Amino acid sequence: MSMSHILQADRLSRNFGGLQAVDNVSFTVEEGEIFGLIGPNGAGKTTLFNLITGLTPVSSGTFSYRGKLLTGLAPHCVAGQGIGRTFQNIRLFKGLSALENVKIPQHSRTGSGLMSGVLGLPASRHEERVVEEKAWELLKLVGLSGRAVELAGNFSYGDQRRLEIGRALALDPKVLLLDEPAAGMNAAEKHTLTAFIREIREQFHLTVLLIEHHVPLVMGLCDRIAVLNFGKLIAIGAPAEVQQSQAVIDAYLGAE
Amino acid sequence: MEGFLQNYGFLLVTLVQQALLALSLYFPFMAGQLSLASPGFYALGGYIAAIMATVDSCASLRNALGWTIFPLEWLVAALVSGILALIVGIPSLRLRGIYLALGTIAFVEILRVLFLNLDITGGAIGIFDIPQLFEERWSYILIFGPLLVVVLLFIHRLQHSRTGRAFKAIREDELAAGAMGINPTYYKVQAFVIGAVLAGIVGAMSAPLLNTWNARQGTFDASVSYLAYVLIGGSRSLWGPLLGAALLAALPELLRPLRDARLIMNGLVLVVASIYLPHGIVGALSRLWSFFSTPSAARGGE
Amino acid sequence: MTAVQFLQNFLNGISIGSVYAIFALGYTLVFSILGIINFAHGAVFTLGAYLTYSLAVGQFGIGGLFADLQLPFHFSFPFALLTGSILSGFAGVLVERCAFRPLRKRGADPLLALVSSLGVALVTVNVLQYLVGSEIYSFPSDVYGDIRPAFVLHFGEKLVVIRTVQIIIFSVCMVVLALLGYLIGWTRIGKALRAVAENAATASLLGINVDRFILYTFFLSGFLGGLAGSLVGTSFGIAGPYFGVSYGLKGLAVIVMGGLGSIPGAVLGGMVIGLAEAFVPSEYSAYKEAVAFAFLFAALLIRPQGLLGRSHIQKV
Repeated sequence: MSMSHILQADRLSRNFGGLQAVDNVSFTVEEGEIFGLIGPNGAGKTTLFNLITGLTPVSSGTFSYRGKLLTGLAPHCVAGQGIGRTFQNIRLFKGLSALENVKIPQHSRTGSGLMSGVLGLPASRHEERVVEEKAWELLKLVGLSGRAVELAGNFSYGDQRRLEIGRALALDPKVLLLDEPAAGMNAAEKHTLTAFIREIREQFHLTVLLIEHHVPLVMGLCDRIAVLNFGKLIAIGAPAEVQQSQAVIDAYLGAE
Repeated sequence: MEGFLQNYGFLLVTLVQQALLALSLYFPFMAGQLSLASPGFYALGGYIAAIMATVDSCASLRNALGWTIFPLEWLVAALVSGILALIVGIPSLRLRGIYLALGTIAFVEILRVLFLNLDITGGAIGIFDIPQLFEERWSYILIFGPLLVVVLLFIHRLQHSRTGRAFKAIREDELAAGAMGINPTYYKVQAFVIGAVLAGIVGAMSAPLLNTWNARQGTFDASVSYLAYVLIGGSRSLWGPLLGAALLAALPELLRPLRDARLIMNGLVLVVASIYLPHGIVGALSRLWSFFSTPSAARGGE
Repeated sequence: MTAVQFLQNFLNGISIGSVYAIFALGYTLVFSILGIINFAHGAVFTLGAYLTYSLAVGQFGIGGLFADLQLPFHFSFPFALLTGSILSGFAGVLVERCAFRPLRKRGADPLLALVSSLGVALVTVNVLQYLVGSEIYSFPSDVYGDIRPAFVLHFGEKLVVIRTVQIIIFSVCMVVLALLGYLIGWTRIGKALRAVAENAATASLLGINVDRFILYTFFLSGFLGGLAGSLVGTSFGIAGPYFGVSYGLKGLAVIVMGGLGSIPGAVLGGMVIGLAEAFVPSEYSAYKEAVAFAFLFAALLIRPQGLLGRSHIQKV
């Protein structure tokens, strides 16, 4: 229970009407790590992300960030703690421009209320400038600054994935949860993405949790990996160790 | 000139008033919420103004204030509407989906039954002989007009503010908005309350205009009309409710010869518009505009 | 309240409650399949009442375009009721065709279906008004033939009056509920309907023609709506083309109370609201119309999933 763990899951469980989607899962994540979550389809990886971010209430167990309990908090409070995420099926604000998409998450860092925004009081005008500047920076970072006013829904799949990462970064997160960021990308794009994730970890001092199906990408990128099967944690450790684990081999091969 | 003002001045006042009510519905729409509560708050505001203007126990207040009783009526209507909107909004808006529509239907019906039966609201007959603010009815444009301008400016500024962005995020994807640090319930309630306050003020301004006020002012039918204004005009731009109200509120006047068939027309317009104009007239126009203003080369690239 | 009064209120309550139940089931069936509230349901209720009236009495109306039009025949009440309800079922199918299908095919925002169904309701009600006028109708007192109009139970000096029409309403509703329960629980059509309600995409993979089952659902819904309207019409008269509106809105309170999409919930909700209205003391009878909506609010506050609804699991 040392305080160096940035994240700690303690016997997290969730069942949906008899189906044990996440079953008694405990692990810790160190600051600055890139931590991979793998497992067959339906193993409970996305559910675990939803438990962490408060979108799905836990059935039992706790999750804490720097010793502070997150379980029981509403999603916006979890986000306010500096935990950003992307979604497996991309949930951008599709009818809004790319620029607005990266402005919106700056909400928790800013504070101007209804009237001060409408009246354009100096404090809120200043805040707007900061938000605007930061939004452009983020768009540049994900390589979409040339298309800032286009609607997010009109972007290609790969561009949407990148914009969604940019949107999560706009929260100024300390922890970033990426749900299958490479899904639907070709080999070259996957390669670029790997480098990009490393780069943002350095630049923003992030801890990254990552769900990914593409095993080579996970093995190459992650410092440690946890393997889920039928909601249970069956292995955790460095990529090489996990690769050797009999339980993992059984889960992947035996399931076929 | 006199005749023109007599004939068309009142129509203009009605159009502006209806546009304001459409905009009161547009606020919750900005945060993706369907409310049918505006007629309830409109009726409530009108009753507050009518009661303050006619009841004996307010006589000394009226004498002391002179014409400034009117702004006071608006203020009281706004306050009461806002508080009531909190009470209705919080339980309905904790939930996602259709619950606000259902909750506000219930709210309008409960208010209507109360207004019909309470002594202070004059029962089924309502309240008569409400003192006028102006001698001529068209002069009411002097209060409705500026209010419309203020509301339009308000919305325009709101859309580019932090609060407005939170509304838009919730409208686009409530769940994702939550994950991006926005408290959906808080902003949905805020949007709903702003709309309610506006409807209450419009009601308080309308009671003297109409001279009498009764429970027919707040019915489910009115809810449907305002909804039609917004959806047919376009729910994603502030010009939508404005255009929708202008067209649909003027239509009955222009089609007066149709009489009974007029409501059938209204219904048909609702069906046809929701099927063929899913983004309203303003949405369709802006699509046309962007189609013709985008260079064909860029379009070919898609 | 004396025991006799209680009995009288209880009997009144379950009679009107059973109508609320079958009417609200019409909402529930559509909601459980499409996840949308059909706002034209109240209009079908009205239409059903007029159809049954015309078929049973052989005359269209008092005012309006059809005022002087007589039918060359008229049916016995049970047959008129059945025919009127079946025709209402087809009206339900028509509602689906006009207001729901075009939007569903496009995958449009469900809010738009709400508006288009409101539009269809507005058209229906106003066409009715145009054709048959806005006067209040009553079914003639001999519509059931030679049955006595009421049964009176004596408890010492106190009386409990049960109107024949209340007995008819309750029995018809119970029979319909039993048939519907059988249809949904035990037949192949019912199984397929439940499969579509559970997950339309999977059902269509299993070879179920989803569009056809949606039509069946709207037919059933329209049938129940028309039947409820006819029964209310025979009991209280037809209060003009708009009389379905308030029942339409009350029906919404019933389904929220019972739990959106829950079939047993709609029945329970209908009974609860019917009974609650019947037990409103006579000095407050003016507020009876608000009771259903007070329940709706209470449900939102205390138990938004309704009495028998499952709490909703969010898919991410």
